[in-house]
Amino acid sequence: MASDVRAATSDRARKEKQKARRDTRMSYLLLAPYLLLLMMFGLFPIAYAFGLSFFDTIEMVFWGVTNYQFVFDDFRVPASVVNVLAFVAIWVTITMIGVAALSLMLDSINRKTANTLRTIYFLPGAVTSSAIVVLWLFVLDPSVSPFQPVLHSLGWGTRADVISGIGLAGVFAVMAYFSASGGWIVVFGGALSSLPTEVMEAARIDGANRFQLATRIKLPMIWRSLVLMGILSFAGGLQLFVEPQLMGLAGPQFAQNDWSLNQMAFQYAFRMGDFGASAALSSLLVGSSIVIALVIVFATKFYKID
Amino acid sequence: MSSRTAPMRLNLGRFVVFATLAFAVCFYGIPLLWLFIAGTRSEASLLTDPPFALGTWEAFSRTWTNLTTYNNFQILTWAGNSLIYSVGGVLLSLIASIPGGYALAQSEFPGRKLILTLTLIAMITPSTAVVLPIFLELNLLGLSNTYAGLILASGFFPFGVYLTYVYFSTSLPKGVMDSARVDGANRFQLFTRIALPLARPIIALVAFFSFLAIWSNYFLAFVLLSDDKLYNLPVGLTALVSGSGALSNLPSNDVPIKKPEVVLAAILVVLPVLLIFMAAQRFVRSGMLSGAEKG
Repeated sequence: MASDVRAATSDRARKEKQKARRDTRMSYLLLAPYLLLLMMFGLFPIAYAFGLSFFDTIEMVFWGVTNYQFVFDDFRVPASVVNVLAFVAIWVTITMIGVAALSLMLDSINRKTANTLRTIYFLPGAVTSSAIVVLWLFVLDPSVSPFQPVLHSLGWGTRADVISGIGLAGVFAVMAYFSASGGWIVVFGGALSSLPTEVMEAARIDGANRFQLATRIKLPMIWRSLVLMGILSFAGGLQLFVEPQLMGLAGPQFAQNDWSLNQMAFQYAFRMGDFGASAALSSLLVGSSIVIALVIVFATKFYKID
Repeated sequence: MSSRTAPMRLNLGRFVVFATLAFAVCFYGIPLLWLFIAGTRSEASLLTDPPFALGTWEAFSRTWTNLTTYNNFQILTWAGNSLIYSVGGVLLSLIASIPGGYALAQSEFPGRKLILTLTLIAMITPSTAVVLPIFLELNLLGLSNTYAGLILASGFFPFGVYLTYVYFSTSLPKGVMDSARVDGANRFQLFTRIALPLARPIIALVAFFSFLAIWSNYFLAFVLLSDDKLYNLPVGLTALVSGSGALSNLPSNDVPIKKPEVVLAAILVVLPVLLIFMAAQRFVRSGMLSGAEKG
């Protein structure tokens, strides 16, 4: 009798175990295509580049940190660090101020107008990668620019005047802001409209005007998301490549082939054929991105997994 | 509105708000508007007429012919390539994201937490950071400069997996799954019979975001593709400009690609995305709210 019961429970336990194993197998089957891509384009390239960074890739012999030393000794690298940091500082600042100010202002006017304006701000998001640079090379050229009167009034007669007047870091920041900020304004529009109305009511009854409502109540409530936007922009900005790389489209005198860090990594691989040095600089860049990502995942609660 | 604020100050505040918003309309709107009008104008008109002078049908059709016939209809090849990369990449990203996100949301298994964490890290890391490592890898595998290489690389879209995971965690009632479970359906049948029919909105959302990312991808395509027959439109656009010197304001040459042709080529790159944006602004809102997109 007792042994029967025991046999039945162990039988059930075995079945449970079998089922669990089958479930696990099935889950991995469903995940297989994704895991394959994750290996191939997430883990492997990073590991491979990291490994390669310790080799003399021309003779294929291990030579420790020589590639890293080479990168640090290249006088263009510190210059590009300064360039990229200047770009990131300007871009993140105008993004945080611009997106916050415009989002709060849109939230204080009537809904219909706000939606129309939001759409207008958002559409330049369609202009990406090389098209941004081509468009802005026109816009910054006083001979064809739609902002011609403004550029002339600032005393800028040629594209070279405009670019040296604004500064390269500023030019790239404006290009990036033009395309990337509208999407965020849409996001914050959604976030602001879902803030609890009781809080707004209470503040209004306490005599807060619209400005106080925006700066003392709404701003603190979206502050964390604004900071996240700043961090994501910072991480993306460090990887700057397209904007400086394509300045040469305006003519050889505008070319900026080693302005940013990613361009340097590109130069090592494609101009010098030195994959080891390229891998070393790329590894440093990927490493900094991953550190930022780890901070966001583990130190904040923005992205939830269960 | 029984506040003690003087009407004067309130009006000044409103003025600042509307002035700023109007300034922003100019900043965001004028370049885009100019681009679309400039596509209809001749080179001479661009240089001498006021910035928003309308062009003529004749000028537009001449520009169109110059652009499309140049170098044996090269721009059409690039547009076709862009379509191939986009369709291939979007399909691959869906095949990977939808079942993957579903499995992560609906079942418990060893390794799940690790996969989710890796997905988040991959999603937050800017895709541009991994371009050169991917090139080094595909070079090793002999897949650089091929359709397959770029399609495979752009099919990896962790944001899609995350969106699907969030969707199935929040919208698929566990009760439905349990009762189907009792009926003896296995996990794969659960996925095809119950989850997939419910997945239409998330399929559209993932397809939307992965299309945007792939269509406008410049850096990866530029690094991977060296044969100009394989270029996508964004890379082709720059090849067109640097090959013709159309933006350099140097003494003119006899290449038929001038400023209007470049404008038109830029419109070709931008227009599909613009149309999709107008049709699907709400997608962006819902998608970006559930996990902000990286730049």
